[in-house]
Amino acid sequence: MSKFTSMEDKLGLDKFTLFHQTHLKIKDGFKTGEAAKKLVNDKLFICPAKVYTLNEKDEVVVSFENCLECGTCRVAAPEAVEWEHPQGGHGIVYRLG
Amino acid sequence: MGAEEKFDVIVVGGGPAGLTAAYVMAKAGLQVVVLERGDYCGSKNMFGGIFFTNVLRELIPDFEKDAPLERVVTKRRWSLLTPDGEIGGGFKFSKFAQEPHNNSYTVLRAKFDKWFSEKVEEAGAMILTGCVVDGFLKDEKGKINGVKARMDDGDIYGDCIILADGVNSLLAKQLDMHRELAPESTIVGVKEVIEFPEEKIKDRFGLNDNEGVAYEYFGYAAKGAIGSGFIYTDKTSISVGVGGTIKSLMEHKLNPNDLLEWFKNHPAIRPLVNGGEQREYAAHLIPDGGYNRLSKLYKDNVLVVGDAAGFVNASLFHEGTNLAMMTGKIAGETVIKAKEANDFSEVMTARYEHRLRESSAMKDMKKFRHLAHVLDTTPQLFEKYPVIMEEFVRDMFTVDGESKNAKQMRLVMRLLRKENPISFALTGLKGRRVII
Repeated sequence: MSKFTSMEDKLGLDKFTLFHQTHLKIKDGFKTGEAAKKLVNDKLFICPAKVYTLNEKDEVVVSFENCLECGTCRVAAPEAVEWEHPQGGHGIVYRLG
Repeated sequence: MGAEEKFDVIVVGGGPAGLTAAYVMAKAGLQVVVLERGDYCGSKNMFGGIFFTNVLRELIPDFEKDAPLERVVTKRRWSLLTPDGEIGGGFKFSKFAQEPHNNSYTVLRAKFDKWFSEKVEEAGAMILTGCVVDGFLKDEKGKINGVKARMDDGDIYGDCIILADGVNSLLAKQLDMHRELAPESTIVGVKEVIEFPEEKIKDRFGLNDNEGVAYEYFGYAAKGAIGSGFIYTDKTSISVGVGGTIKSLMEHKLNPNDLLEWFKNHPAIRPLVNGGEQREYAAHLIPDGGYNRLSKLYKDNVLVVGDAAGFVNASLFHEGTNLAMMTGKIAGETVIKAKEANDFSEVMTARYEHRLRESSAMKDMKKFRHLAHVLDTTPQLFEKYPVIMEEFVRDMFTVDGESKNAKQMRLVMRLLRKENPISFALTGLKGRRVII
């Protein structure tokens, strides 16, 4: 069994250079309520870094600081995700790749 | 960057495609700048794979002297995984351990791409890192004459722009040169690099010296979703990963990291990757749409190369980096000609596509053009058939005193009850066409 299995553990292996501003946005109409629940449970659960979660008020929480910048979310839910690259020199820094 | 500065060529993206283009153009004396959004070239890059070095060898014949290469791939294996079994085959050729090493190396991209970028700088190109490009600059006639980088004084001018900004290529989409990636033909892959002592890797995989393996897993490798898995040996680490089409993973409710954990614990995989120290977790998209979803490759002042254009051969051969380099090389050579003619319009950039059509990169893309569609429409290859295959092979080799003839007859009859033989045969034919 690997030592690290949870998402938190895995992301702890990686190096990130944090930028204060998000590069990932949820479009209006998908931020809360049923639409948000559906978005996260049907689609955005697929994010390899589990960036998108729901809080107790059924709002989408975007943990952009964990983003691996793969683009899966923008392909899975283009109607709901506004995606751009983070600021140059920031975000994930692969040391091995 | 002041308006007074103008480059012959702006290359957006410092991966294998962009760096190759920059290398050939800088060598020819063009003023080239590479804009890389990462901290260094390679810092955003990962792959599960073999770096095929045929194009690199043309550019830098003695690259083996100082490139950060991990292992020469002398041993390859392809397996059909079932829920808890494996049916596989492969090769190990000691000839591949000799020059030119079959042009097949495992590499770690953060190290390798960085090394390559240093070679490109030595060749005379300028590399600006930490520079993300958001759009284009146009002159009063609407002709593209530069890019907008997200930084102070970020207007950067150039006669020609090569888009090498990777699989998501927001820039090619901005120019309507590329359709949006489709969930059914885009693979999300995740991998871990796990460190082991060198001796352990050699023992575990049966390797001499700097030999390495590429093990690829099909069938039930993505827990029934449309996908595959892999293990590659680095010098002192193992890269293990798995991927699937975004559509299929969504349908199967599989998060890629959970899938990777399942894959690593599969009875056929676990003994190979167990233990060690996990060093990195990475995720990346693979454009799997093939020939039919390639971008438009050129327009006035713009060329698109590598993943940005969709150059990945996702068949059994799993080629990508070499196609990236081939497109980069041909694009670079095209721009050199354009510079000679001082004409960067479509008249000249169209030569890129003409020459690509003669190249093995494009011929292979064409050969496997049905791949994405076949995979998307044949889910039984990933769920039902692996199970049937295992039952067949396992029963055949089960030792229980039954005569071989009786066994065969019984198994064929059972197979026919489970699956219409015509559809089975047709699927087999369809599958073969996209595999080799």
